[in-house]
Amino acid sequence: MSVLANTAAQAIELAAEAGDADAAKATAGASSAGFAYGLAAIGPGIGIGYLVGQAVQAMARQPEAAGQVQTTMFLGIAFTEALALIGFVVFILLKFA
Amino acid sequence: MNALLLFAAEEEGGGGLEFPPIENLVEWPAYFGEGTIFEFNKIGLISLLALIIPTIMFLASKKELVPSGLQNIVESIVDFVDKQVILSAIGPEGRKYMPLLLSIFLFVFFGNIFEVIPTFQMPANARMANPLILALVAWVTFIAVGIKAQGFGGFMKSSLFPPGVPKALMPLVSLIEFISTFLLRPFGLAVRLFANMLAGHILLVTFGVLCIAVWKASPLVILEPLTFATLVGLTGFEVMVSLIQAFVFSLLTAVYISLSRSAHH
Amino acid sequence: MSFILFAAESTEEAANPILPVANEIFWGAVAFFSLWALVKFVLLPPVLKVMNERDARIQADLDAAEVARSRAGSAASEVSDQLVDVRAEAAQVVDAARAEAEAERATLISAAESDVAALKADAEAEIAEARAAAMSGLGPQVAELAAGAASKVMDRQVPLSSAQPVVDRYLNNPN
Repeated sequence: MSVLANTAAQAIELAAEAGDADAAKATAGASSAGFAYGLAAIGPGIGIGYLVGQAVQAMARQPEAAGQVQTTMFLGIAFTEALALIGFVVFILLKFA
Repeated sequence: MNALLLFAAEEEGGGGLEFPPIENLVEWPAYFGEGTIFEFNKIGLISLLALIIPTIMFLASKKELVPSGLQNIVESIVDFVDKQVILSAIGPEGRKYMPLLLSIFLFVFFGNIFEVIPTFQMPANARMANPLILALVAWVTFIAVGIKAQGFGGFMKSSLFPPGVPKALMPLVSLIEFISTFLLRPFGLAVRLFANMLAGHILLVTFGVLCIAVWKASPLVILEPLTFATLVGLTGFEVMVSLIQAFVFSLLTAVYISLSRSAHH
Repeated sequence: MSFILFAAESTEEAANPILPVANEIFWGAVAFFSLWALVKFVLLPPVLKVMNERDARIQADLDAAEVARSRAGSAASEVSDQLVDVRAEAAQVVDAARAEAEAERATLISAAESDVAALKADAEAEIAEARAAAMSGLGPQVAELAAGAASKVMDRQVPLSSAQPVVDRYLNNPN
């Protein structure tokens, strides 16, 4: 990760040295956008994995409750996923806005 | 892979991976009325199609005791919203919200599914407008239901002052509850749908661009089956996402309505 | 790098891709609220009506089936009740027949026994008669023999007339 950060910093420095402020800003935005999304995806990734695993376990234990478990699972995924999606929105904002 | 691509691009002299700016992906030229509020572009067209297609489906389906063809599809949709959304989130007394929840489901689904339909290739919900409208409708609905079911004071009390909280912490808890109930819920609804569809759209565009780039880069053309298969697979995945997002949006609306109906928080 | 520059170029004129745009809100709102109204007043009611009708029909069919099944169950129990009755009756009949047969057998046996007894009595009577006859036929010869034997022993003539009553008495009362 530090390698990536270094290359990003170098790119920003390069752009800044070239005297192009907009390009420097865009480069900084692009690299931090990557970080923002990457970091935002870690937690929800673990969370959704755990959630679905538990849901599968519940459904295997009680197949007759599968419908209810599935609905609750989708709800849980929706709430967990929201964090990653906010990260994605931040990505878009940093990268394009 | 990227290094290879860049290498190939350099070799070819600038033909390689050129990702289009996001404005080209999500903003569409006006068909008419440019510059006014009536400006009609692809998003508006998809919104209108999301109105027209369900209308035609419902009107054209026969209303017979033994269903067949289109009637099966229409009834499965209604049955799905009934069982999976209303009964599992609110219960049998939630059936009076059926028109709203069914409309949300249909509007979101048909707004999404144009993501994979050739010549459209754009989910209407990848623009903030439609998710915002739907989220506001859901927001107004659950507040109205709460006020109707518990009265204004009761609803505010049950949603802002959860029982069993120490007096000293009450202002903080109330603030958090206010933000989470009245601001984050609609925000979350809108952003969830919008970001999912925008991400899916960008994903498909990325793999489409990658396919074109690999096709152009002569030594890498052997990778074309791989990238193309991935693109096809992701298209199928996006169909599933379209359906799940429609389900989740209507389910969350139903859950919020259900939370407003009961005084117990 | 080229696309980064491209993006940087276009940020100046383009709006934020996340913010909603008025005209899209307008068309989206028109479409959604029309859909809501249509679903509520035009599209959904007939579908729900036919689905409810089907549910009611299926429920009625199920109820009818349930009723028929309970009726069949009661008929079956009735039949089994009847079967029990019939079995009891049959057992009764069999018992009666057995008792009757027993009685008949007893009467037959007793009749046979009485027949046998009569026959036996007849035969005994006959035997006794025959014996008496034999005895009575035997008397003169025995008397003759006895008289002859006595004559030989006593060396004198024993008249038959005097031997006859002795022999008869002896024969008639042999002990």
